[in-house]
Amino acid sequence: MSITRPFKATDMFKFNNINLDVWTETYGIGFYLSYLSRWPDMCVVEESPSGQLMGYVIAKSEGSGTDWHGHITALTISPPYRRLSLASRLCSFLALISSSTYKNFYIDLYVRCANTIAIGFYEREGYSVYRRVREYYGSLGVGRGGRDEEDAFDMRMPLQRDRERRSVRPGGRDIVVSAEEVS
Amino acid sequence: MSAGALERQIRPIYDALDTGSNKSAIVACNKLLKKNPKNELIKALKALALVRSQKVEESLVLCDEVLESKPTNEGVLTAMMHVLRGLGRHNDLVTMFEEAFKKQPSNEDLGIQTFLANVRAGNWKSAHLTATRMYKQFQEERYLYWSIISAVLQARDPTTPDNMRSILFKLAHRLITGSPTPSYVNAERFHLHLSILRELELWEEADKLLDSDVGKNICSTSLVCNEVRREIWHRQGRRQQEAERAEKLIVEKKDRNWLEFLAILDATLPAGASTGAEVEAQVSRARELFENVVKEDGAKDRSGHLALVDLEHRARTHGVTTDSARLTTSLKKYFEHFGSKACCFEDLKAYTGDRNGLEDFITVLDSVPDTFTNSAQLLTLINSYKLLRLSLPESEITFESELKRVANYTKHYFEALPLGDDLPATELQPADDLMLLAGNAYISLWKLTNDETHIFNAVHLLEFGVTKSKHCFLARLILIRIYRLLGSPSSALEHYRIMQIKQVQHDTLSHLLLSRASTFSLASTGDLTLSSECQEATQIYLSNSQETGEFVSRAFNVEKYSQIPEFLLFEDWLDNSLQRDLMKIEHLRMRLTHEPINSDIIDMELIELKFIFDRNHYDNRDFAIFPDYQPKIQPSLHEQTTLFGKSEGTGWLMTFLKLYIRAFQQASDLDDTVEEKLLIGDRPKQTANQGKRAPLKERLLEKNEEHLTELTADEKKLFEYATCLADWLEPYHDYTRPPPAVVLAEAARQTELKTGHPLKGIDTSPLNGLNGHKKDEEPPAIQDPPELLTTFFADIQERFKDALGRASVTELLHIATLAQEAFLLFVTETVRFKVSSVVKLNKLGALVASFKDVRAAGVSALKEISSELVKQSEYYGTTESRQSFVDSGSKAFEPKIDHDVVFTQTKKINDSRRKVLEGVGKGIARLATTYAT
Repeated sequence: MSITRPFKATDMFKFNNINLDVWTETYGIGFYLSYLSRWPDMCVVEESPSGQLMGYVIAKSEGSGTDWHGHITALTISPPYRRLSLASRLCSFLALISSSTYKNFYIDLYVRCANTIAIGFYEREGYSVYRRVREYYGSLGVGRGGRDEEDAFDMRMPLQRDRERRSVRPGGRDIVVSAEEVS
Repeated sequence: MSAGALERQIRPIYDALDTGSNKSAIVACNKLLKKNPKNELIKALKALALVRSQKVEESLVLCDEVLESKPTNEGVLTAMMHVLRGLGRHNDLVTMFEEAFKKQPSNEDLGIQTFLANVRAGNWKSAHLTATRMYKQFQEERYLYWSIISAVLQARDPTTPDNMRSILFKLAHRLITGSPTPSYVNAERFHLHLSILRELELWEEADKLLDSDVGKNICSTSLVCNEVRREIWHRQGRRQQEAERAEKLIVEKKDRNWLEFLAILDATLPAGASTGAEVEAQVSRARELFENVVKEDGAKDRSGHLALVDLEHRARTHGVTTDSARLTTSLKKYFEHFGSKACCFEDLKAYTGDRNGLEDFITVLDSVPDTFTNSAQLLTLINSYKLLRLSLPESEITFESELKRVANYTKHYFEALPLGDDLPATELQPADDLMLLAGNAYISLWKLTNDETHIFNAVHLLEFGVTKSKHCFLARLILIRIYRLLGSPSSALEHYRIMQIKQVQHDTLSHLLLSRASTFSLASTGDLTLSSECQEATQIYLSNSQETGEFVSRAFNVEKYSQIPEFLLFEDWLDNSLQRDLMKIEHLRMRLTHEPINSDIIDMELIELKFIFDRNHYDNRDFAIFPDYQPKIQPSLHEQTTLFGKSEGTGWLMTFLKLYIRAFQQASDLDDTVEEKLLIGDRPKQTANQGKRAPLKERLLEKNEEHLTELTADEKKLFEYATCLADWLEPYHDYTRPPPAVVLAEAARQTELKTGHPLKGIDTSPLNGLNGHKKDEEPPAIQDPPELLTTFFADIQERFKDALGRASVTELLHIATLAQEAFLLFVTETVRFKVSSVVKLNKLGALVASFKDVRAAGVSALKEISSELVKQSEYYGTTESRQSFVDSGSKAFEPKIDHDVVFTQTKKINDSRRKVLEGVGKGIARLATTYAT
């Protein structure tokens, strides 16, 4: 339970409780403004009844032909508001926009291979691993989790327009590509 | 030379500019200019390279030359756009594009640039006219919408007179309804249309749009449009309809957006609702609906439960029911289902601050078992502690009871830690909140007793806590506050840096470190740590002025009209941020202790402070971020831990601005006419009200008691002193200051020496006799220094002595740095009279003689304070200074926190105190010596 409303530029003054968390990066203002200036309807916040920001999603729509898809760039929930299905709500809302407004074929995102909690969550939401991207998070170097720390899974969920479900495939975890191939 | 050959030669200049090699760009330009002295493109590129190398004066000459030629070439225009932006000359940029567009009216790109240049400069009227012209010329609908939103933005601009606003909205309305394709072809245009209807309160037309299928469709996926729809319905008082719509969404679509629940609550019991059978029936209907939601959702979603709590709370507040039983029941039910969720406290906070009538619920909270074997049980206990603490009555906030509570929180904290043993180091610990509760209680104990031992204990516990939960930033927030209270700035800095505050957070969170930072500054000894933190935090304002406007243009290009007002608002809030200018003042205070006080620094700062003085400030500082678990009837954690108990706001800022502007105005030769001639770039826009207000000189003298309440008692004394000093010296400064013509001529001479070109528009012809400043009138009669001035330093020295041994380290530093500031203000105000020829010429010998005593009193007070601070610093190097804190800490936390850890921690704090006391002390002595004569 929360208020689902548009992410506004001035929310940057209010998102500290979310962004001070170690997993959430605070980017330059240009990052947020560039998303808001192109895909404002794909930037959404969840606000508590008391007016505190609880989490947000920032996404975009890109690609051409049957690769025309929605992409979740950031999805984050402040620690005290986790395990309340907020992320799930944001995901469903985004899938709705991606499908109905942008007519995307699928929606995708990248997640650290070591982040099993997140992967499990996205699988429950309907996403599946499409491929493994080597050294996607390379700048951090090999961490405690070995290659799983720096590699990413590209996870996808087909939308209504992809009737044949061409945007997903089985065994994606074993299909490895390099970071250069995807960026 | 053929055009192709020249082009080939120009390319390397672009490359050099792109890679930031401005020097080699200038060299290349010079070479080409020899052969092509009239080439505008090369001139423009050279101007750009010069601007980027901070050679503003030289760039100006070229820049004006190019502008005079009224260029239309794309390359020249683009280069000049960057030059003019770099110089802050947005108005000239507009003129340049307007001229070019006039010459080539069929050039669509020039039209776009002209429009966007107007947008950047905030010239909404011209933007509107340009867009209108473009729509006629190029027949593209986008330009019609540009003209519409420009009219809307003009209507909302603070410089627009009130009577113009509705005319402009009506104009926008006429244009949008006349659009060949209806606005509902896309959500962004539809949003703009709805906003105009909302402003004009054209409800019928709005309803027609909203009730149409396409309108409903847009609102079902576009959150921005739905937001305006809600407001339109709300303002029409269509609560009932909104509630019906919400009910449908909740029941049929299982929508759990809290706004839908609020719609029903607002329709059932709006603010100021009356009582009666009808209202009661409505309440029961809403109750039934929410109870059904609860049945359906169970523990899956909190909406139904919280809606019930809110409903019963409203019913009680409105007097629909006097019985609290229902509210208690709903609270109990909520707690039963969600007591183990971390959000429970935030959710219930608004309903449980007052125990009256909620005794049953309190009993439930009291009976939560204080043993736990899993995180859910632990969280339930934590929530009960937080809610109980929130609703504590005055009678239960005593030394003994708080001591008991803190022991309890701490005990459970240590017991709960093992529950998080297996979590990765990046996770927060489930026990963290118990340590934060203890931190709150320790601060409460300190407030009750004024005994620093308690906040030392808070430090020991929280420092231990962050070794267990590395990313618990909430603990670091309390630590930063405590360290500043204790006078241990380096420890505060350490935690601040770990939090990696960056980008826009510099605006919202730098207050943590930089509020009244000059108190701890060692800039006087050459240590610029805090001063550089100020500069780093200030970068965000530069990014804002460079980037945000660019995204406004982008939003226009891709027609995201809903975002344009939001971006402009964001830009404005950041540009006129209160924190920005509070930091500016702190930076200035530090700067004056570090750099020689001369006309360079005085003139520069004066110009900037005057700009700031005219701003309307926005307070973006985030104080809600603190983990505040203090009882509702007490001041918040933020208030309790604010340095000196006084948070700086606009009043504080305005007072210090007045203080420094007056001092610098007197010390400077720049009066308004000189400044007007010498200043480059646009002036800030005047708002409608600003036109009517009193001149700066009068506003600086205005007394504002309310502003003064934001100052500490010592700061108030400094302000009185500064006012007295300025009042006394004003006539002598005014008499001695060289006339504007002389100042300008000197400035022109300096510029010519530097650039080889004279300053434009300034007459440098020999001034008859004025150079010698021979004056007709006699100098003002010399008055003795006022009593307040002569006694100030003795008084503050007394105040300092009195505080020794009684006051905290921070308070001692506060008094000492203010004494230092007072002295430096005296130095600033007397710099002009240092030159003996000036004194002689103006016959001010007697005045200068009277400075001696004041200065001597200042020097003697500063030396005394300095040596006392150094003495104090030595004390903090001794074992004696830390013994009691170590003993107390060890007693409270052993064996969980090792004695050695407590010892090291205490020593670290005292070392930091020693360093700051010694540094500030020695710095004061250094300044007293530097300016002793």
